[in-house]
Amino acid sequence: MKSHNSIFILIIISLLFIASCTEDVPQYVSYPVYSWTNTDATGGNWKPILLSSNEQIAIPDPTDVSSAEYKTELAALKATTAAVTASQKASVEYWSNNPIIRWNEISRQLSAKYNLAPAPNADGSYPAPSSATPDKYPLFPFAHPPYSCRAFAYLATAQFDALIACWHYKYKFNRPEPGVTDASIAQLFPKSNLPSYPSDGAVIAAVSRDILSAMFPLEKDFLAKKADECINAFLWSGANVQSDIDAGKTLGAEVAKVFLARAKTDGMGAAQTPKAISDSLKTLAQNTFGWSWSNLETPPRPVGITPYFGKVKTWAVTNIVDVRPPAPPKPGSAEFNAAADELKQRLDNITEDQRKIANFWSDGLGTYTPPGHWNRFACNELIQYKLNPLRSARTLAYLNMAEMDAGIACWDAKYYYHYPRPIQTIPGFKTILGTPNFPSYTSGHSTFSAAAADVLSHFFPSENGLFNAYAREAAESRSYGGIHYRFDIEAGLDTGKKVAVYVVNLAKADGGE
Amino acid sequence: MALTLGIVNMIPAITKAQTPSDAIMMEGKRICVAGLYGSDKWDRYWEGTLLRTNGNVTPFTRNTYGLMLAGGITTKLNILVSVPYVHTSSSGGYFKDAKGLQDFGAWLKAEVLKSHLGSGDFTTHAVVGFTTPMSNYLSDYAPFSLGLGAPEAQGRLILQYLLDMGIYARVTGAFLARGTTKIERDYYYADTGYYSDKVDVPNATDFTGTLGCWFFDRKLKVESTYENFNTVKGHDIRRQDAGFPSNKMEASSIGLHAQYFPAGGFGVLANYSQVFAGRNVGKSSGFLVGVTYQFGISKS
Repeated sequence: MKSHNSIFILIIISLLFIASCTEDVPQYVSYPVYSWTNTDATGGNWKPILLSSNEQIAIPDPTDVSSAEYKTELAALKATTAAVTASQKASVEYWSNNPIIRWNEISRQLSAKYNLAPAPNADGSYPAPSSATPDKYPLFPFAHPPYSCRAFAYLATAQFDALIACWHYKYKFNRPEPGVTDASIAQLFPKSNLPSYPSDGAVIAAVSRDILSAMFPLEKDFLAKKADECINAFLWSGANVQSDIDAGKTLGAEVAKVFLARAKTDGMGAAQTPKAISDSLKTLAQNTFGWSWSNLETPPRPVGITPYFGKVKTWAVTNIVDVRPPAPPKPGSAEFNAAADELKQRLDNITEDQRKIANFWSDGLGTYTPPGHWNRFACNELIQYKLNPLRSARTLAYLNMAEMDAGIACWDAKYYYHYPRPIQTIPGFKTILGTPNFPSYTSGHSTFSAAAADVLSHFFPSENGLFNAYAREAAESRSYGGIHYRFDIEAGLDTGKKVAVYVVNLAKADGGE
Repeated sequence: MALTLGIVNMIPAITKAQTPSDAIMMEGKRICVAGLYGSDKWDRYWEGTLLRTNGNVTPFTRNTYGLMLAGGITTKLNILVSVPYVHTSSSGGYFKDAKGLQDFGAWLKAEVLKSHLGSGDFTTHAVVGFTTPMSNYLSDYAPFSLGLGAPEAQGRLILQYLLDMGIYARVTGAFLARGTTKIERDYYYADTGYYSDKVDVPNATDFTGTLGCWFFDRKLKVESTYENFNTVKGHDIRRQDAGFPSNKMEASSIGLHAQYFPAGGFGVLANYSQVFAGRNVGKSSGFLVGVTYQFGISKS
C-alpha cells in the first residue's frame, strides 16, 4: 500500500499541474511596430473614391511651432509622454503607427460577432432584425457575407479618402513631428518624418469609429472607447500634440459623413426583400429556366439572404449584367449529372485533408465571412511589406470595393438564376458544412476569392502565386463541404476575375501606382 | 444552422463490476473484458439555459461501441482501459454523420481504505486516469463531433458504505483537467474572437450519488445514480449559434443500473440514464448493455 500511495500522490500532483496550466489563446494578431518603407509624401494628390477633392473637408490652419500656443501644447505632450505607464506603452504597441490594421481587425471581429441567423419562433415563423430597433432580438445587423462585405468596403474606402485628405494637409502645412521641435520628447514610434498636422491616428480612429458605429449600432460605446484608446496611443507615443489630434478627429468624422450618405442610398435598405418579392423571383426563375431554389431548413426560412443585394450600387463595375455568368446546366443534363456525381464521390470518400480545407475556408455563421478572411490575408501583407497607413488604406479600399462588387455580382447571379443547392437536387445527399440560405449558382466563396486574389496580386505581385492558390482552394472547399457544384465554383471564379479588372483599372488611375 | 454538443461525460463503463467510478476491485492476476453497446438520443437541447428544438440536427442519435478491459495488478490496485467507437447522426436535416474511434482511456484504481464499521464495510478508493483522442475526429462539428478532442486527466475519490445485508450507498467526486483541442480553422468567435486553431476545453467536476443493493448471494446488483457534471468555466451557445468545445456544459442525470453474474465468469449489465437538467448539452436519454467475462491469468 505504501508504494501505491506515493504513486497516487505523484499522479495527483501532476493532475493539479495540468489543471493549472491553461493555454493563452491570442485574441488579436500581434505584430511589431515597424518602420514604414516610405511615407508617400505625394499621397495627398491621389484621387479619392468619393471626395470631390483633397480639400473638400476644411480644417483650421495650424499654429506655428514657434508660437506660444504650440509651445504650451508641446509642454503638455512632454508631461504626458514622461509619465507614460507600462499599460499605456502596451496600448501604443497594440495600436502601432499603423492602426488601419487594428481597425480592420475590429471590423472582422464585429462581423463574426453579428454573423448569426435569426432563430425561429415557436410557431415556425422567423423574426427579422431591424435597424430601427437594433437591440431587439434578432439583434441588428445579421452580418452575413453581403452585409459584412459592404461594412468592410465603407470602412476601407472612407479610411482611404480621409487619409488622402490627411496626407494633403500634412504636407501642405508641414508641421514637424513634436520630437523634431523638441528632441527631449520621447517618441515611441519609429521616426518617419511625416508631418504631424492633422494626426493620421486621430483621422483613422474617428472615421473608423463613425463608419463602424453606423454599421454595428449596438457597438457604439465599444467603438467610442476603442477610438479614444487609439487616439491616446498617438499622444502617449509622442507622435502628436492635441491640436494635431483635434484636427484629425474633425477630418475623420466629416469624411465618415460623406460615405454614410452614400451608404444610406446604395440600395442596401431594400436588399432584404419582403416575401412577395422573394417569391416572385423564384416564380420568374421557375418559368424562365424550369428550376428554382428552396430553403430546406426546419422550419423553412421564408426569404433567402438579401435577394436584392444584386441591385445594390457598385463601386467599380459599371453594369452588373456585364459580369453575369451564362446559365448553369439544367438539372438532369449530362453536365449536371457529372457535377452531382463528383459531389457524391467527394462526400462519400472525403479525406482528412479535404475536410480540413472545407473547414479552414468555411467562413460561415459566426465567422468574419470570406471577405473578412481576405482582409486578414491583406493585413498580413501590409505588415510584411511595412506599408504606411495611407498605402495600407489604399490596398484595403480597392480590395474591399472588389469584395463588395464581387458580392453584388454573385448575388445578382444567385437570385437571377435561382439555382437549387445540391441537397435539393441530389436525393439523400448530406453535407459536412451547413447549406447557406441563398441559391447555389454562383459560389460566393469563389467569386469573393478570385476578386480578392487578383486585386491583391496587383498590389503584391510577388505574392500572386500564393493568392491564386488560396482562391482555388477556397473555391474547391465548397465542393468538399458538399454545398456547391463544380459549375458554381468555376463560374464564381470567372466572375470574380472580371470584377477585379474593373477595380484594378480604378487603382491604376488614382495616381498611387 | 444551429448545432450543439451532445452529452459529454460518458465513460461508458464497465467490466465485471468495474468502472472508474464504482467501489469494486478485481482480485490480483485476474482480467475482465467487456463488450458494450450504448445508444442515446435527444430531440431537444439547451442553448445556454434555453431548452429548444432544432429540426436541422434532430432527432439526434449517438451509438457507442466499446471494449473495456480491467485487470487486477493486486487486489488493491487495478488497471482499466477503454476503447470506444462512436457513431453520431441525425435523421432530420442534411448534415453528414460522423463515426470513428473516440478517446482511449486508462485508469488506475486503488483501494486506499477499508474498515469494518458497524454492520458493514466502509471503503475509500482513489482513481486517476486519462483519456485522449484515438483518431483525428473533428471536435468543431457540433453536435456530431465524436468527442471534445482534448486530452483529459482525471482524479476521482470514491466513498462507499456497504451493509453486510447488501445495501450500499456511494458518493464520488471527480476533477477532470482538460487540455486544448485543435480545430481546422485558425480564427473562431467564442465569447470573443480568437486567432488560433487551439480551443481551450474547460475543466470540469463530476459528482455522483448512488444507492444500490446486492441480491441472490451477490450475483445481482441493482442501483440508481444521480450524477452532476459541470464545467468550471466556458461560455453559452449564443442564440442560433453552433455548439463549441469551449462551451459551459452542465448536465444532471439520473440512471438505473443492473448487473448480473451467473456462474462461469460471465456477466451481463444494463444501464439507463436520462438527463433532466442541463446547459449547452442535449437532453438525452439512453441505454447501455454489455457482456463481461472474467478469468485468471495465473494459478494461485
